[in-house]
Amino acid sequence: MAEVTYDSATCIYPGADRPAVDALQLPIKDGEFVVMVGPSGCGKTTALRMLAGLEEIDDGSIRIDGKDMVGVPSRDRDIAMVFQNYALYPSKTVGENMGFSLKMHGVPKDERARRVREAAKVLDLETLLDRKPRNLSGGQRQRVAMGRAIVREPKVFCMDEPLSNLDAQLRVQTRTQIAELQRRLKVTTVYVTHDQVEAMTMGERVAVMRAGQLQQFDSPTELYDHPANVFVAGFIGSPAMNRFDGTVEDGGIRVRDATLHPPEGQLRAAKGHGKLTVGIRPEHLSVGGEGELTLEVALVEDLGSDSYIYGRLAGDADSHVIVRATRDHPYPGETVKVKVDTAHMHLFDGATGLRVGE
Amino acid sequence: MMARSITAEPELTTAAPGRAAVRPKRRRNNTWVGIIGWLLGILFFFPVLWMVITSFKTEAQAYTNTPQFVFTPTLEQYKTVFASGIWPYFANSAFATIVSTIFVLLLATPCAFALSLRPVKKTRDVLFFFISTKMLPIVAAIIPIYIAARNLHMLDNIFTLVILYTAMNLPIAVWMMRSFFLEVPGELLEAAEMDGAPLRRTVTEVILPVVAPGLAATALICSIFAWNEFFFAVNLTATQAATVPVFLVGFISSEGLYFAQLCAAATVATLPVILAGWIAQRQLVRGLSFGAIK
Amino acid sequence: MTAIAPPVASAQRVRARPDRGRQGWVRRAPLLPALVFTIIVTQLPFLLTLWYSLQSWSLVRPGSEHFVGFANYVAVFQDSQFWTAALNTVILTVGAVLIAMLIGIGLALILDRKFLGRGIVRTLLITPFLVMPVAAALLWKTTLLDPTFGIVNWVLRPFGIGHFDWISQVPLLSVMIEMIWQWTPFMMLLVLAGLQSQPKDIVEAAGVDGARPLQIFRELTVPHLRRYIELGVVLGAIYLINEFDAIYMMTQGGPGISSTNLPFYIYQRAFLGFEVGQAAAMGVVVVVMTIIVATFALRLIFTSFSGTEQAA
Repeated sequence: MAEVTYDSATCIYPGADRPAVDALQLPIKDGEFVVMVGPSGCGKTTALRMLAGLEEIDDGSIRIDGKDMVGVPSRDRDIAMVFQNYALYPSKTVGENMGFSLKMHGVPKDERARRVREAAKVLDLETLLDRKPRNLSGGQRQRVAMGRAIVREPKVFCMDEPLSNLDAQLRVQTRTQIAELQRRLKVTTVYVTHDQVEAMTMGERVAVMRAGQLQQFDSPTELYDHPANVFVAGFIGSPAMNRFDGTVEDGGIRVRDATLHPPEGQLRAAKGHGKLTVGIRPEHLSVGGEGELTLEVALVEDLGSDSYIYGRLAGDADSHVIVRATRDHPYPGETVKVKVDTAHMHLFDGATGLRVGE
Repeated sequence: MMARSITAEPELTTAAPGRAAVRPKRRRNNTWVGIIGWLLGILFFFPVLWMVITSFKTEAQAYTNTPQFVFTPTLEQYKTVFASGIWPYFANSAFATIVSTIFVLLLATPCAFALSLRPVKKTRDVLFFFISTKMLPIVAAIIPIYIAARNLHMLDNIFTLVILYTAMNLPIAVWMMRSFFLEVPGELLEAAEMDGAPLRRTVTEVILPVVAPGLAATALICSIFAWNEFFFAVNLTATQAATVPVFLVGFISSEGLYFAQLCAAATVATLPVILAGWIAQRQLVRGLSFGAIK
Repeated sequence: MTAIAPPVASAQRVRARPDRGRQGWVRRAPLLPALVFTIIVTQLPFLLTLWYSLQSWSLVRPGSEHFVGFANYVAVFQDSQFWTAALNTVILTVGAVLIAMLIGIGLALILDRKFLGRGIVRTLLITPFLVMPVAAALLWKTTLLDPTFGIVNWVLRPFGIGHFDWISQVPLLSVMIEMIWQWTPFMMLLVLAGLQSQPKDIVEAAGVDGARPLQIFRELTVPHLRRYIELGVVLGAIYLINEFDAIYMMTQGGPGISSTNLPFYIYQRAFLGFEVGQAAAMGVVVVVMTIIVATFALRLIFTSFSGTEQAA
């Protein structure tokens, strides 16, 4: 159990023109479950590997429990890692795999066996201890990889997309298991995924990354309710937030032919920003009535309990709009009016993409 | 019937319980291929088969205008072969093969390791160099080697062959072992590092078990080439260190070209390697193509 | 809320990656034994051969060696027997390589299909390559090609061939046939590896796109196989230029020098004629010839097959 601090940590591969991880600043609390999420190439895996000691820390530092890890090899960091492809030793049994690091650290045989058995019980692996990895299913291998990490009782868990090789159903199941396990063990965990649903459901705090740079580090709720920039706004939340071009005018924000009226404080903050990007989540749009926007319906996803309407703004063939509706919804081809919940608008500067106002 | 793509596999579905057996549709198409395949296989194998068959004949049975396929087998040729003192040659071949192969593995494995898992600068140059040595004709090197061996009193010495066979097989072994090392997933090494294993233990507990089949294959391939080698053996040995290929030649010149006898001698000489090659079949391609092809 | 402004790019201030100097030696050490051993055992002799080639030296007159510069090379190039041997080498190599490759491709195509007993047939087909070359040569000379008792003539009798003496009448061809027999499996295995490495889904996609088997073969398979065929041809050539065992055993280069190739000719000069200087010069010439062929080989192995296989 330990605090982990990324202090302006940077990693740049020789010959690359931009850092893979650019001055990452992440203060992680003891026992916290932090998820790093972002599209491919955003640097999340590199950042994780820097913590594990598998990538160089070229600038800045990473501290575990206050101790600087620059120059410290992996084996001395007291970190356990769960790899994306599990990296189980093929010539060893499940029990031997799990006990390997204890063996490397000179833990006596009996103690090893005891700890392996305990971890196996937690993960329901007791009957598999004598099997070799090639005789295990994907889900079982994943559990062994986790067991290998747990047995070590390390300061930090590093997990590199551990669920990405599982089928969808198993993934959901295992997700909750991992989250419960972490809550029980209270070990500081840094978890990397490209799936924002995983991030939102598992993380206590989530770090959204893009092109090596941290976009926002906050609780899932905060990320959802107050995204710091356009990228985070569009990345978090499924279906994605609607984004429209808008301009500030007297009395409101103009989007297409409509003028929207956000709360006073927000409007004041928006003044002076000229062009804006207006973000509205599908659930903050509603079909019907005195709608400010006109929508041509292209496609409807009926999910049973509710539905999502996909369409275009009238007159703007390149626009994409998603509206959440109930079972009672319009059909493709119809043109409907859409009302905006102006209390829940997100405004971003048109040039920088940064959030404007609260 | 619909034409199918050349390499599509026949789809043998696992039948649900209670369902009738699967129709072997593709087998029908491939029967002709199978027949031709078998014919050609037997054709290519025939000389070897004929060698073995003839070895069980008497000379009278072997020297017939019409080849005899049916006859009563006899072991007299083998008796002659073994009576002519083949065992020392066998021992020499075995010694040269086994010892040179051990040396090869001892030298090539760390070398391949350095060239794959912990790449050095100039990896390509080193690999290039190893291959280039295989491409130089032995005829160019034999003269100085002969003279050197003579001056060092190493003629007719089995260790001379051991040294030469080691050098002969090293490039193949380095390339083969390297291709096996390259197959070890990088994640495995990282996991071992995170588990606290020092390099030595990573090698012994993680890497070697994974490449063990590769080691075996390399050993077999090197053994095949060492056992069959003739040019060095015939020029650098006489009586003490002569190997089986030399024996074969000597057997012919002393006993004469008697078919049944020489077939027995040839069978004895070639059998170990044929068996080794059958076992290491899958790895032959790797060895022959310097690990470029799996 | 912790929003982050874009950080200052810190690329200029990065600390240097750990010095690999001392670690470099640790990394290099494992390959030194093999490297040093190989250099000593292979390079020294070649350098000595170069040196000997500049000497007039006969082993029957010890102590008579003296420097003669390029005189040996001149003699070699004026030696008509050398050129005959060179021509024979070319004929043997080109003939054997091409025919073995053609047959090898055919066999590989057959083995690529599934049929009953395919594994056994494959085992049968690779056997010629495993047979000790001197034994193989011996077999062909006696049990197969013998004019009276050889099985080949027996098979050809209905066609009127009868008592043909292969070894004396067509020595070069006889040796070539034996070499083809021994090396076809090599070609077959390489091409088969190529066929089996062709990704199945690409072939299926072509089928769905409407291509017939012959079209698929021409448009997809042949280009994919090209580098395997090239590799087989070049590697085969390198090995076959140096063929010695077959000639020693089957014909001893005769009758006359009609089936002498360069390696055998050099052997004769050195070990039967004891003309070290001349033999060395010939050896150097053969090396140069081989280097030319080998350059192609190395380029192929490195460029075509560097790293892991890619889709065709």
